[in-house]
This record gives sequence, C-alpha cells and structure tokens, in this order.
Amino acid sequence: MDSLVTGLLALADPSLVVLLIAATLGGVIIGALPGLNATTGAALLLPFTITMEPVAAIAVLTAIYCSATFAGAITAILINTPGTSASATTCLDGFPLAQKGEAGRALGLAVVASTIGGVCSVIVLMLAAPLLARAAYSFAPPEYFALTLFGLSMLATIGGGSPIKNILAGCLGILVSTIGIDLMTGVERFTFDMSVLSDGIGFVPVMIGVFGISEMLVQISNSQERLERIKLKAIKLPSRADYIKVWKTILRSTGIGTFIGILPAEGATVASMIGYNEARRWSKTPEEFGKGAIEGIAGSEAANNSATGGAMVPTLALGIPGSPTAAVILAGLMVHGLRPGPTMFTEQSDFAFSIFWSMMFVNLLFLGVGLYGAKIFARVTLVPVQILWPCVFIFSIVGAYALDQSMMDVWVALGSGVLGYFMRRYGFSVVPLAIGLILGEILEQRFGQSMVMLKEQWWLLPTRPLTLFFLVLTFLALFGKPIWNRIKQLRA
Amino acid sequence: MDSDLKQNIRGATPETWLVPLVILIFCGFTYWLTTEFARMPPILKRGIQPSDFPQLLIALMVGLTALIVWKDPIRVSERIQNPTLKAFGIIGVFVLLVQLDFFFALAVSCLGLTLLWKKRDWYTFLIVGFFVPIGVFFLFDQVFEVRFPRGFLTNLWYG
Repeated sequence: MDSLVTGLLALADPSLVVLLIAATLGGVIIGALPGLNATTGAALLLPFTITMEPVAAIAVLTAIYCSATFAGAITAILINTPGTSASATTCLDGFPLAQKGEAGRALGLAVVASTIGGVCSVIVLMLAAPLLARAAYSFAPPEYFALTLFGLSMLATIGGGSPIKNILAGCLGILVSTIGIDLMTGVERFTFDMSVLSDGIGFVPVMIGVFGISEMLVQISNSQERLERIKLKAIKLPSRADYIKVWKTILRSTGIGTFIGILPAEGATVASMIGYNEARRWSKTPEEFGKGAIEGIAGSEAANNSATGGAMVPTLALGIPGSPTAAVILAGLMVHGLRPGPTMFTEQSDFAFSIFWSMMFVNLLFLGVGLYGAKIFARVTLVPVQILWPCVFIFSIVGAYALDQSMMDVWVALGSGVLGYFMRRYGFSVVPLAIGLILGEILEQRFGQSMVMLKEQWWLLPTRPLTLFFLVLTFLALFGKPIWNRIKQLRA
Repeated sequence: MDSDLKQNIRGATPETWLVPLVILIFCGFTYWLTTEFARMPPILKRGIQPSDFPQLLIALMVGLTALIVWKDPIRVSERIQNPTLKAFGIIGVFVLLVQLDFFFALAVSCLGLTLLWKKRDWYTFLIVGFFVPIGVFFLFDQVFEVRFPRGFLTNLWYG
C-alpha cells in the first residue's frame, strides 16, 4: 500500500511529467509513421535513456510502448496502412468508415477504446504483478528453468509465422547469448581471443539492428508503393448510441487483450486479431464487418492497448517479456542494473509502482492527445520517407555506438540488421532472436543451477510439481496444435 | 519417400536448399568451436561443462533445420530488389569510410540512402547530409556526453 502511494508521488516530480508528455508525443509520432512501431521506437530510443534515472528511463520506454501502440490506429484509419502491426485489424473497418466521411468518428472510437483498454490493463497490472511475483518468490532454479523454457516455447506462435522457424530463430538468439565468459565456470566461449567479446554481445545493439536497420532494408523494397490519404476534418467523441453499441465489445476485448498480454511473448498484434475476431463473432451484425463496423474498430483497439499492461505483468514479475516491446523494456531494466523478478516487488516496489502509475498517466494523456491532436499527428504521415529512413539509420548507428562508446556495438548492430533482413526474407521472425538473446543467459544459469541441485540427474526435473506443470505447458505450447490437428484428421 | 518431402522437392527454389545448408554449415562450425572450449575438472564444473549448453542448442538447431526442409520449406519467388542490394553497398561504403571519419561516413551513407528513394532535391540532401548528422553529433556530444571516434571532421570539434 505504501509503495502504491510512493509510486504515485513519483509523478509529483515535474521533470518526470514533462518527460512522460514528451515521450507520449514521441510515441504517437512513432506509432503514426508507417514502418516504425513501438518495438523499433523503443529500441532506437533506448540509448537516449541510458543517462536518465532508472524510473525516468523505464517510464519513458513504457510511455512510448503505450502511445505508439495506440497511434498505429491513426494511419490505419486515415491511409489504410497500419502504423504498427497491432493496428492491422483496425484498417479493416477504420478505413472503410473514413471513406464514408466519418474519419473523425472512427478515430474518436479508437481513442476511447484504447484508453479504456489501457487503463483497465494497468489496474490488472497493479493487482496481478505483485501477486504473481509473490507466487514466484518460492521458485527454485528448476522451476525458473522450466518457466523460462515455457516463455521461450511461446515464441513458436509469435507473429503468426512458422513455429519451426521461430524456434530456430529463438535458439540462435540463445546461442548468441552464450558468447563471452561463462559466468558459472569463467571459461571464454566464442570470443576468438578478442577482449571486446569477453562480456558477450550486448542485446541493445542487436535489437537496434534487427528492429531498426532490418526494417529500413525492408522498407527500401517497398519504396514504390503509393498511399491513398483521407482528409480528417475534426475528431469526434463517440455518440451515446455508439457507446451503447460497443461497450460490451470494449470490455470483452480489454479482457482478451490483458490475458493475451500476460502470456509470455504474445503481444498486442495477437491480442488485436483475437479481439477483432471475437467482436465479429459476438456481433448482431457481423455482415457489417469489413465495411466500417464501429465494433470492429473498438474490438481491435481495446485489445491491442490492453495487451500493453498485460505484457508488463510477466516482464516485471518474472523477468519473462510479455511482448517484443516488453523485451526491449526488459533490456532497458537490465542496462540500468535492475533485475526484474520477484525481488522487484520486495526490494524495489516503489520503483515498480512508479512505472505502473506512469503507464496509467500515459494512457489518460493520450486520450487528450488523441482527441485534440490526432489531426496534427495525422500529418506526420506526410514526412518524406527519403528523410525518415536515413534518420532512422543515423539514430541506429549513433545509438548503438553511444551505449558503450564502442565501434564493436556498431558492427553488431549492422550485422544484426543484415541478418534480420535475410531472416525476414526467408520467413524467420526476428522477435524470437531478440527474446532468445535476453532469456538465454537466464536459461543457461538456471539449467546449470538445476543440474547442481539435482546432482546432474536431469530426469528428476519433472518430479517437482511446479516444474512438471511448466514443462507440460511448454509441451502443449510446442506440440498442442499439431497433436490437436492430427486428432481432428484421424476423427475425420 | 514422405509425401510432404516429395511435394517440397517439386516446388523447390535454390533457397530451399541453400538456406538450410548455410544453417548446417554454421552449426558445424560453431560445434567445432565448442570442442575447443576449456573443460573443467569434475570438482569445478558446477553442473555442466561450458560446452554442454551450446552443443545442446546446436543439436536442436540441426534437428529444426531438418524439420524445415521436411515440413516448412523456404520458398522465395522474387529476387532481392535492386534498391536493397544498393543499400547493402551503402552499408559497405559506410564500413570503409568510418576509417576516415564516423560522421562523414554517416552523412555519405544517408545521402546514398536518400538517393535510393529517388529523391534529388537539394534541400533533402542538405537536411539528410548536413543538418541531421550535425544535429545528432551535438545532441549526443553535448547532452549525453558521448565522445565519438576521432576523424578528420570530428577533430575539428575535439581539436
């Protein structure tokens, strides 16, 4: 309770409030720019936060996360191009409604649904994260190992891509995390006798590379595409009739989004897809979907924004990222010497609650920004790509260098960017690579500690009930769908 | 032969085989590297040898690569587009020019990237090739106190 109040008092610091306002506006611009999303934005801005106080740094990153996730709807509605992948389903009804001359109404609905989803998910975060952390406090290394394995297994379904390729990318990320001195034994691995590699490969340059530089390389291929723009006269709050029609959809999608967000690695994109599909399934007029149904916009937007709060639950309570952007935030926590996990709620609970209140503040702030500023922010889509992407390149390179003032980080960022481009080209998602890199060290440490604890008898792992529970979840995450499909085939 | 595999062989493109081959070569090379790691005596090894975990991962990656060929082959019909190839060239130019000066390399690379989007306005060149690199340099130098590698341009400031 004390931490709840102390955390709120952090917002009494005017410099933090100014930073949050700036980060929210920056996040809205990032989200509104097609091609840039919350993950890329957070990865690019992470080096800027290095010199900040930990509370300010993480609050800035979460502000970008929340506001960029919302702002993807602006371009989705006005130019039929989702600013972020989480807004892809908003295009389906947002753009048709805008074509009917109701862009303001569509944006108004998106803002209100996003705010409700975001605020509710932060409340869930405040309640669930400390409880989950308390439960995890009793975890021994085998339980942590199995939990981390479960978190990694969820990568299989990330981004709707091929599960096999996703796991392979995750394994590559974990393998990269083994570069450097082995903390358990002090032995150098994959260092080629280079002292710069002794500390391993930093995850920030890799993230800048795979999210920033590889995106630029992908965007160059799409440089010929032309976009249709819709003029926005004024943004409108939803009418009473609109509220009556969509309130159930907003609440349902908020629940779905928060739950999906809590699942390790599953983020706003999956949440918005499920939220949209459920909105259509429960609708009395499903035939209107795809032609400008307001329930479609509300279902998608409430779900993707509520996933942001949900994703922070496992990130802070267990140290397992709940989404790709949460992985960048986790990297930010580690850069500041903070170790997310159960101890965060016993030793640094004031810090944790400051972050929660900051997220609440940002969610309320973009209600105002969305309602009164959407017309202005819609204009950022007019920023020429010829200026935007070279700027992304400069910030990627300088950001990677600035972290440790090391050229090695620049080469790592460039190498990761090229690798990321080829991975995407051949159907491998880059998100598992980044998350594998972050979780790899923890996974190996816990595995090693478990082996010490169990006297190298790994087959004893499933004899511990909680470990068995997480291992079963891992098995289901990896093989549940193929087994279910096989059963259905056999029945048919 | 398995029907999935037969179908994959029929619809194969060079990448269908090339990408798994590259992954397997990478796995073979990294496995060889792991055999060079120092081994700990039993009393110091703390559960596992330093090479055990990477070897476990490499074995898993080999298995998954085989699964890709069998169940989920790589099929890319379109070639890498010209602008993307040129962008790789620009990255190469950046790597070379960085030996002269970090910010000179950045400015030249950004001008090159702007050209890839077929923009040839003098004001875009001025923004991307001059104002943005200068602005970023002073932002990081003055606000974040980052010291950049010396070169013929940065020496003008650092003296």
